[in-house]
Amino acid sequence: MSAAGHALALRGLSKRYGSFTAVADVSLDVGQGEFLTLLGPSGSGKTTILMCIAGFVEPSEGAILLDGRDITALPPERRDFGMVFQGYALFPHMTVAENVAFPLRVRKLGAAEREAKVRAALDLVQLSAFGERLPRQLSGGQQQRVALARALVFEPALLLLDEPLSALDKKLRAELQDELKALHRRIGRTFVNVTHDQEEALSLSDRVAILNHGRLIQQGAPAELYERPVTRFVADFLGKSNFLAGTVQEALEGGFAIGAGATRILQAATSTPPIGTPVLLSLRPEKMALLAEGETAENAVAGTIAGWSYLGAGYALNVATPDFGTLRVTLPTWNAPIAPREGLEVRLGWSSAASVPVLDDVSPDDAA
Amino acid sequence: MMSFQPGLFARGSAWVVAMYLLLPISIIIPVSMTDQRFLSLPKEALSLQHYATVLNSPEWLGSIWQSFLIAVVATGIAVLAGTLCAIGCWRLSRRSTNLIRALMLLPIIIPSIVYAIGLYRYFAGLDLLDRFMGVAIAHGVTGIPYVVITVSTALAAFDPRLEQAARGMGASLMQTLRWVILPRITPGILSGGIFAFIHSWDELVIVLFIASRDVFTLPRRIWDGINENLDPAMAAVAVLLVVFTTALLLLDLALRRRRAE
Amino acid sequence: MMRRQDVGWWLLILPAFLLMTAFYVAPIAQVLAISFTEPTPGLGNYERLFTSESVQRVIVTTLRICVITTSLSLLLGYVLSYRIALASPSAQRWWILAVLVPLWISVLVRAFAWVTLLRRQGLVNETLIGTGLISEPLALVWNEFGIVVGMVHYMVPYAVLPMLASMREIDPRLLAAARGLGANRLTIFGRIFLPLSLPGLLAAGVLVFIFTLGFYITPALLGGGKTLMVAEWIGLQILDLLRWGLGTMMATVLVVAILVTLAIFSRLVDMKRVFGGGGA
Repeated sequence: MSAAGHALALRGLSKRYGSFTAVADVSLDVGQGEFLTLLGPSGSGKTTILMCIAGFVEPSEGAILLDGRDITALPPERRDFGMVFQGYALFPHMTVAENVAFPLRVRKLGAAEREAKVRAALDLVQLSAFGERLPRQLSGGQQQRVALARALVFEPALLLLDEPLSALDKKLRAELQDELKALHRRIGRTFVNVTHDQEEALSLSDRVAILNHGRLIQQGAPAELYERPVTRFVADFLGKSNFLAGTVQEALEGGFAIGAGATRILQAATSTPPIGTPVLLSLRPEKMALLAEGETAENAVAGTIAGWSYLGAGYALNVATPDFGTLRVTLPTWNAPIAPREGLEVRLGWSSAASVPVLDDVSPDDAA
Repeated sequence: MMSFQPGLFARGSAWVVAMYLLLPISIIIPVSMTDQRFLSLPKEALSLQHYATVLNSPEWLGSIWQSFLIAVVATGIAVLAGTLCAIGCWRLSRRSTNLIRALMLLPIIIPSIVYAIGLYRYFAGLDLLDRFMGVAIAHGVTGIPYVVITVSTALAAFDPRLEQAARGMGASLMQTLRWVILPRITPGILSGGIFAFIHSWDELVIVLFIASRDVFTLPRRIWDGINENLDPAMAAVAVLLVVFTTALLLLDLALRRRRAE
Repeated sequence: MMRRQDVGWWLLILPAFLLMTAFYVAPIAQVLAISFTEPTPGLGNYERLFTSESVQRVIVTTLRICVITTSLSLLLGYVLSYRIALASPSAQRWWILAVLVPLWISVLVRAFAWVTLLRRQGLVNETLIGTGLISEPLALVWNEFGIVVGMVHYMVPYAVLPMLASMREIDPRLLAAARGLGANRLTIFGRIFLPLSLPGLLAAGVLVFIFTLGFYITPALLGGGKTLMVAEWIGLQILDLLRWGLGTMMATVLVVAILVTLAIFSRLVDMKRVFGGGGA
């Protein structure tokens, strides 16, 4: 298969159902050969966006461009996209080979060419021996690979994946994640994936777009999103995070200081908000350390262990602090400085660069 | 596991009701084999003479053949229109298509007598009275509900993503119909066809009004027979009809079993 | 709003829609129209509902037979459904066949069978006379009795289907549980089974009633022309008396009565129960 990826662009895409807005003004670029994941909780509009790209849903506003050409008005069968459906949607009355041959049959390819391509596609997903089976005779993982082969066999401009791994159990999912990633490298096509599984999104994608309530909140490389979330929602949805609220007290070189009750915290930043504005900092549980007697850190907060759990690789501590409520801290088990127990007094320390100021975009109905 | 069984009284009365349903129909079997010349149970011996009378009568055979042809054409109309309509309504699935589906059920709801007198007048203007095509159209249109119901039921079990998948892979509407939708609902279509066929084959009220001489279907001939001369040949015809209908039902049952697998 | 992508699907609906409109709705609309225009335009035909004794007699007779037929069909159908619903799966298959076969056997064949049995020289009378129970043959057919016997026979399977469907939704563990709690058979039936099967009973009632209202063949063959129900009366007006206005008026009343019945009960019953998701 050739490595001709195509570029996709969404321009101001919106979809409304009556008074309900499923997608609100989303603009997004997917580069040639890129693996982009749309990530969000259920109801965030990610699937609606995918269905708009595929042509099954007509957007209320906005345009969809493929290599700069407007395809918004094209029906799905003329868009030339491969798609892996949630639950795979394999035709139950056709064998595996017939399923994979379907897009070629539709395009009226000759029998010989068809057979060669089907064989190549089944080789690609390592299912050459299963061509004559019916889908229901295959395991979940095998069905998923048939769906992939079927979506790729006609060398589509774009591969769309709708929760491709959600039907599988956890171990198989990890395996297939690796396979999917390797496949993407090998064929170099543009992939657009939809998932609600943040781990899957982080491990598979070149770039992740995070959605909530139909809006695009932030997009970027996985590490960028994890390290520099711009809003509370993003920080909370990708991994776990503590949120420290305070007000700006003073501008400093390379950052600013905030105060919360009697505590003063340093935050690295390139610009300082006006004195007195409330700010929210996101602080990952693994970025804090327990300070030994006399040890100092840029930021230090005292507290008491209110609860803890053993997670194998690490401990998770809930530390009650006077000014920031309960903070979650994770420590690697193998060199933990203390043996955790409830009621133990500890001091937490972190550097001013460990936390990130975020926008508080979480409304009360998201709290759950 | 503890199970709940109906009492003796309930069981006994159920048997009585079943007898009431089945016995009168079965009585025509011995009557059709009577050795007498009038409607009665066989006295001395079983005889197939009345079957011979029917099967050698050009009138009966002509009516059977005509009923069969009409039913075939009517079934064709009903299956074609009903299947496509059910698929369209299923795929579009909105308020307006629900209304259309309700419209398609009208022939089961509105008594045939009302339709029959309407057609009597309507077909006079179209020169379709006492015409093969007139009866076939009337039976075809009134057979549509049976097809719509069975095909809709078959479609309810059909995963709509399969249709999306096919379209997404570049299949046109016709290709999707032919290769994805129709193969999955064939048993439902056949069931609907069988019911539409039986409907036309048995239909009398419409025929009484829109046909008179040239079109003289089997039910019409039986009707005249019951009203004029109750002879044992009628019983033979009745038995043949029962056998035919039962065979069609068993065929349907077999199809359903295959679909269930 | 019709989306461009949907045009193809609408086209699939089109043939059935056109056939139905041109060859079903149009003739029936014509019937409704004629009832207001012939012999003279106006409501003259409908006045007969209040003035003509023969019109009123037909309606009363029809309603009486309908009520009797519906009640008996529901009773017999309920007994049968109750037995089927609680039978083992393999036994159920035979019971259901016993219901379905009569359902699909030509109504003419069934009427013929009843005539064979019930007429003066029929098998029932001959047997009764033969055993000396009676000396004169009983009038069992070509009267209202004959009509009811034949109609109930025709309607019982229609009553069974919706009732059976709703009884099958009753969780058998409920009945076992009630038994385990010490309820006797009658209590279980009256307090649990009957209330839970009520939707099916109601649906069956609606179905049988509207089918009975417009029934033609059975009353015509078993009534012998003496007891007239609405459908046969309409046929008579049109074919023999050529009184189109009166015939179509009654046809309109019949359709309205059926639609009103359906409208009333569609608030109480899920109409899917009546006309079934599935073919018989």
